[in-house]
Amino acid sequence: MDKETLKMLANKLMFTMKEEEYKTLMDEFDIILKQMDLIGNIPDIDKVEPMTYPFMLDNVSLREDKVVDELEIDEILVNSGSNLYNQVKLPKVVE
Amino acid sequence: MVRLMYKTVIGLEVHCELKSNSKNFSTARNSYSTIPNSNVSVVDLGFPGILPVVNKEAVKNSIKMAIAMNCEIPEYLTFERKNYFYPDLPKGYQITQFKHPIGTNGYVMINVNGEEKKILIHDTHLEEDTASLDHYPAYSLIDYNRCGVPLLETVTEPCMNSADEAVAFLEGLRSIFLYCDTSYARSDRGQIRCDVNVSLMKEGDTELGTKVEMKNINSFSSVKEAIICEVKRQSEILDKGGKVLQETRRFDEAEGVTYPMRSKEDAIDYKYFTDPNLPPIKIDKEWIEDIRKSIPKLHNERFRIYTSEYSINEKDAYTIVRDKNISDYYEECLSLSGDPKLVSNWLTGSVIGYLNKYSLTIDEIKMRPKMLVELIDLINSGKISGKQGKEVFEKVMDTGKEPAVVISELGLSQIGDEETIRGIVLEVIDENKALVDDYKNGKRVFDYFIGQIMKKTKGRANPSLASKILKEELDK
Amino acid sequence: MALSIKEMREKIDSGSVSSEELFTESVNLAKKYQDKYNPFVTIIDKYEIDKSSDSNLSGIPYALKDNISTKGILTTASSNILKNYVPVYDATIYKKLKEAGAVLMGKTVLDELAMGGTGTTGHTGVVKNPWNSERLIGGSSAGSAASVALGIVPFAIGSDTGDSIRKPAAYGGVVGFKPTYGRISRYGLFAFASSLDHLGVFARNTYDVAMVMNVIKGHDERDMTSLPDDDKNYLDTIDNEVAGKKLFYIKEILDNSDNDKELAKVIDNFSMVIKKCESLGIEVCEESIDKDLLLALYPTYMSISCAEVTSNDANLTGIHFGVRGEGNTPEEIIKDARTKGFSELIKRRFVLGSYILQKENQEKLFLNACRIRRMVVDKINDLFKKYDGLIMPAASGIAPKFGEGTDKLSDKYLMLDNHLVIGNFGGFPSITIPSGFVDDMPLGINITGRVCEDDVVLNMAYKLENTMDYVNQVAKDGEIDV
Repeated sequence: MDKETLKMLANKLMFTMKEEEYKTLMDEFDIILKQMDLIGNIPDIDKVEPMTYPFMLDNVSLREDKVVDELEIDEILVNSGSNLYNQVKLPKVVE
Repeated sequence: MVRLMYKTVIGLEVHCELKSNSKNFSTARNSYSTIPNSNVSVVDLGFPGILPVVNKEAVKNSIKMAIAMNCEIPEYLTFERKNYFYPDLPKGYQITQFKHPIGTNGYVMINVNGEEKKILIHDTHLEEDTASLDHYPAYSLIDYNRCGVPLLETVTEPCMNSADEAVAFLEGLRSIFLYCDTSYARSDRGQIRCDVNVSLMKEGDTELGTKVEMKNINSFSSVKEAIICEVKRQSEILDKGGKVLQETRRFDEAEGVTYPMRSKEDAIDYKYFTDPNLPPIKIDKEWIEDIRKSIPKLHNERFRIYTSEYSINEKDAYTIVRDKNISDYYEECLSLSGDPKLVSNWLTGSVIGYLNKYSLTIDEIKMRPKMLVELIDLINSGKISGKQGKEVFEKVMDTGKEPAVVISELGLSQIGDEETIRGIVLEVIDENKALVDDYKNGKRVFDYFIGQIMKKTKGRANPSLASKILKEELDK
Repeated sequence: MALSIKEMREKIDSGSVSSEELFTESVNLAKKYQDKYNPFVTIIDKYEIDKSSDSNLSGIPYALKDNISTKGILTTASSNILKNYVPVYDATIYKKLKEAGAVLMGKTVLDELAMGGTGTTGHTGVVKNPWNSERLIGGSSAGSAASVALGIVPFAIGSDTGDSIRKPAAYGGVVGFKPTYGRISRYGLFAFASSLDHLGVFARNTYDVAMVMNVIKGHDERDMTSLPDDDKNYLDTIDNEVAGKKLFYIKEILDNSDNDKELAKVIDNFSMVIKKCESLGIEVCEESIDKDLLLALYPTYMSISCAEVTSNDANLTGIHFGVRGEGNTPEEIIKDARTKGFSELIKRRFVLGSYILQKENQEKLFLNACRIRRMVVDKINDLFKKYDGLIMPAASGIAPKFGEGTDKLSDKYLMLDNHLVIGNFGGFPSITIPSGFVDDMPLGINITGRVCEDDVVLNMAYKLENTMDYVNQVAKDGEIDV
């Protein structure tokens, strides 16, 4: 695992890490990728369907199309660090 | 320089907001609003701990569209997450469908310059819309109203070869949304938006050229312009022996040019994976059948019937089917035993003329199908003249009164009764005895007699009947 | 001596103590222990109760893990990025407890964003073990475990993605239960790994756990993964006979061919528990599971949980909630918020999860992990055809000292310290109860049962705990100081 790949990953995850932290991360990757290799060693793994849910639920029902639980404007904005004209304000988004 | 010929290959990804009361995964209202942040729930905002719950109506409308586009529908519905950071995406991922889209392998028939073409649908899938960003010179503001609105994305195969075909497909698709009543599909409100892929291949080549994608084009006319301008740009590159780069470009409507947005190398890995919060939902076969039955005859089918069975000309048939409400109006007239051709003439002529003149939709006018059929019958049976028909038409449109009522109020009803007319004819002959001799001597006084009859009846005498009886009496 | 829910109920009903007095005593204890053990992010001073309820929990003080959404009450998930976040909506579990008249007295510390098993990574500091403050209590539901172990509250709510209730319960000498996946709505639980996340209960006896479960379980139309109502009162069956029940343990996990001294004591304790089971007429058998599969438990868990959490925590950008970052572009402010808001450990997990989900790695690292998950669950379900449950020591030893390293590649670590994750893989109901002491520190035993048989698991645990002397025990420090 090289540092540049990890930096690229961190950058796409929208944070930076300190140089010394990458060292720990690289060590950790070594351990974890070794552990991951254990997974690949399991025989016939390719014949198994990946599991997403602990178990399958029967008769999952869809939501009836009703309007409830809308927020008041102050509830929408109360946790935002910057607001203007009842909207969350940001530095200009350049498309 | 020898100018090479290229074949244009176009694929479309069309996003269309679906109609429903509430949003796709939340219970906030799904409605276009100009008041920012007036239809928002905690789920739309992606606050910590929220969970999505799938809206039945959005699924129903998606299935309806999948059926209308002749798609295969999976046994189970699953949803995936598409992960990326952007200020209009509060959760940091969009819930969409990747593995089992609601429809796959479908097609839509289009008609371009009289030729039929099958446009292949790769898939159509249900997802959620993002928030909208309002841009100001120094900052941007986020309006979460649109966030979570159900969005159906339809992806075609790269199988269109001209801007006209692309636009015909878009119009056809919009028409399906409107006929199925699954979307308002208004471009001006961004309810239907489009990504366009364009590539060029040399005549005779078998492999597709390098694809360039243009994102988020709002109007169909812009799609046309964008394709034309991108084809020109790519041809010029190829003419010079250059290579087209695989990239995403932005079409500037004002300037009519495309600009690069990001290259293939910068392509985002969306890290799709199944959303564990949304268990697979079994789509009942019976439900699909119920939905299928609820789909009305679509514009293509109606067009075929109008032209081949009713012998309506293509131009008029197209005018009628272009708006489902007009087509429904037309069919209601026919169900009231209106004559297909006569109704079509009135509809495409006077009625649509009236709509255009006053900027109305057909649902807003006072002349209901029953009244139009009645009016046509009255003219047809000679009760009123064609000219009087126009007058009655205007009055019915203005007042919403039944044509018969209007006719009697205006004193317009034609005299078609033979006895009555004969009486009047005899009266006129009696008053102009001298002229009867002139007539017998071959003088041209017949029209004078007719004029007198019309004067007496205030123009209400059936002209052909009047002249028939007059002739009989004079020739006695 | 700290009172159980049952005892508090009796005293409130007889009029010998008021709910408000219980609340005040709870808050006073919390304040007294806060400096030394640090269980709370927020201690709630204001007594508020819905008086209309006739529920067993009416008037009972309790604590919630600080990753459960409480309208108007700071909820930080013990992370700097949320240190100012005040939710505008209630989690379903909190709503149900409120409606039952239970009185919230505090929000408890967790490992940052529920990631981690040490209780040392919360933004307000380390949580210490009430039995010995040089040791950790474990996590991620550290403060909830500690507050119950200290006798501050008779019950607390935690969440469990790998073992985050059941491990700290063992280290703290209390009962920790996570029911079947979907039995308690997750609506309002800050997601860690959605397919593995469970809410659950800490208490000092299983009867109390059942009382709380009766209130907080149930279908929720806000959570599509929530189960239909089971229409059961878990107290009705809690004292049922258990003779004839069959449990198994996994031989490979208890292998001690290295002659590890602490592990030997753990195994001794386990043998004692098996004898207790047998005294109840429960048969306990040894079963074997492919060791490679067991060694893969932890990496499988890491893969799935890290993958899911990178996505689940992508909402933490500081834009419309959380601490706003600085910068001249939206990207800069998001980066600033996330760089400052997350600790190093969290970032490492995110990077790992993101790597695992990359297109080119997903098949090998993520989907293979999902396949192992199925193989493990299929194997356990297969055994559950023969057995009513799985019984194992909850951990490889007593709570570690702070800073004590673990060899993360050792078999012991990979299997005995991570087998509880089986309960999360398959969504099985799973309970840890105290089973004794080694070096004056508590040990716990775990029973995991079939999906939807929450009542059976509670019944077996209740019967078993009553053969031992640890019911209603309060941590040493707690007892001395009170």
